Amino acid sequence: MLQMDLDIGDFCSNWSHCDLLSAYLARMVSHNRLDSLLFSNLYSSALNELLETVFRVHGASGKLECSVRRQGGLDRIELVFPADEDIFRVYREAIDKLSGENAEKLYLEALFTEGQPDASLGLLELGVDYGARLTIDRVGNDRMCLVAELTLEDENE
Amino acid sequence: MIAENTTQAFQWTYNENDQEFALQGSLRPQKPEELSNCISALEQSVAKVSGKFYVNVRRLVRMNNVAFQAIACKILDLVRARADLDVQVTTSSVVGWATRKFAVLETMSDKITVSEYDSEFYPGQSFVEDSEFIHVLRTQTKLTWRHEKELLHKHGLRPGMQVADICCGIGDFAVLLQKEFSPDRLVALDHSRSSLDYARQVAADFGIRGIDYVFGDAADMLLEDDQFDFVTCRHSLQVFDRPELILKELFRICKPGGRVYVTNEKNSHCLGEPRGESIQWTYNEVARLWHHFDMDIEIGPKSRRLLLEGGFEDVSIGSFMVTSADGDPQGFADIIASWKNLFAGKMAKERGDDPAFIERFAKGFDDHIFAALHPKGYAGWPIWVASGRKPQ
Ligand SMILES: C[S@@+](CC[C@H](N)C(=O)[O-])C[C@H]1O[C@@H](n2cnc3c(N)ncnc32)[C@H](O)[C@@H]1O
Repeated sequence: MLQMDLDIGDFCSNWSHCDLLSAYLARMVSHNRLDSLLFSNLYSSALNELLETVFRVHGASGKLECSVRRQGGLDRIELVFPADEDIFRVYREAIDKLSGENAEKLYLEALFTEGQPDASLGLLELGVDYGARLTIDRVGNDRMCLVAELTLEDENE
Repeated sequence: MIAENTTQAFQWTYNENDQEFALQGSLRPQKPEELSNCISALEQSVAKVSGKFYVNVRRLVRMNNVAFQAIACKILDLVRARADLDVQVTTSSVVGWATRKFAVLETMSDKITVSEYDSEFYPGQSFVEDSEFIHVLRTQTKLTWRHEKELLHKHGLRPGMQVADICCGIGDFAVLLQKEFSPDRLVALDHSRSSLDYARQVAADFGIRGIDYVFGDAADMLLEDDQFDFVTCRHSLQVFDRPELILKELFRICKPGGRVYVTNEKNSHCLGEPRGESIQWTYNEVARLWHHFDMDIEIGPKSRRLLLEGGFEDVSIGSFMVTSADGDPQGFADIIASWKNLFAGKMAKERGDDPAFIERFAKGFDDHIFAALHPKGYAGWPIWVASGRKPQ
């Protein structure tokens, strides 16, 4: 397991932090995979979408805790960050879309709308395109937890 | 062009001849506006095109949804607005996410096709990825290793180094390296999934750990710059129509002060006695056959020039000969038999050679085997070994 804690304000002071953090963590977790380069690139892409989502939608102040772990063929990414009820609702709605039957259609719709992407697009992509299992939960009164479980390597390939 | 105003390093180029717009690097902008220069370049390029417009994202390693949305919507607008236009997007299988992601474009318009760049783009790739070829490679490595073990040392390989073997084939050389030189890190890359599967299986069966077998395109590797002390590429520059492009990549991933080590053949110099003339004739024809498929099996002695022109210093070159007198004449004969199988089999047929030619062509291999196994005979296969240092 690997954990990184950052101040959410520091994290959000520069967009490039999403890219840097996802690339860094991807490299750290890519050892002993079937194909470390392919894995690292996929992992970085998935994690980056999660971090960009949190960058855009998060509560006022506090810590961003990012922990990643491997459980066999499954990779689990856990992000805990400040979130009031309104923020939590944004995530709730995205996850609800994913559990519906037309998740794929909603994903494509979000993907092909002009202008700034919808906040839920990254999560929809993870659910539909990466086949990730996403869950959210409240942590105390003013924080939330977003968990993504991913299978990026197909052992039978 | 290189994008400004963004922390992401990405570039675009337009090739008018091919009507191809290529994007490369890492594209993770915060806002779509950051791509406005790139999008207007795309618009300008398309304006001059009719018929098929190619969008090449093979070297686009990373891309977030902001960028995807901006570019995908633009492409959709284009085909919807212009009846005369079709768009062909080319992705890379190496990058992982790209084919799946761009494939959704096909569902949005039947004027867009998305295809994965693959082996057919390389002349002769279908031959070397063939599973029959695995046997050729195994036997070859077995016989070249006894020479190379010493040579690698002379060319600067030491225990504990960061090593990459590019175009590793079935990975048997990497296994030998791992055992003999215990590198600190060993990456072995190839563009054949079946070879890599085989390599991973062998490593697992032999209980060998620490070799990182990765799928990749040697012309375009995801490996970062300046990482390896020693980069090897064996018998492989000769399978590319433009070996200098591969060498450029080997140079790039090598650390300054590190060395790139290549081995190559000159097949027309294979020899044997008795029946020397027939053998000679056939191997001259091998060179022509490879040439027909845009591959140069005669690169061996040209390696020095390739390295010097590729920017290397302290270039050294030598050669050794695998022979039937090395102690394993049957092994030698096996190599020749597998060459015969491939060259006088599939490759000659594909070129459309007539039966009379094929018969004579095959005879030279049989004669080479005859020489190798003859109690008073002698047969040889020369190989050139060259290495150069990347300047500090
Ligand atoms: C002649 S074999 C040599 C293999 C190995 N180095 C050896 O000596 O046994 C050439 C190898 O290059 C690989 N190859 C061909 N095109 C490639 C590419 N674009 N990127 C990486 N490897 C490639 C083939 O799959 C094949 O394994």
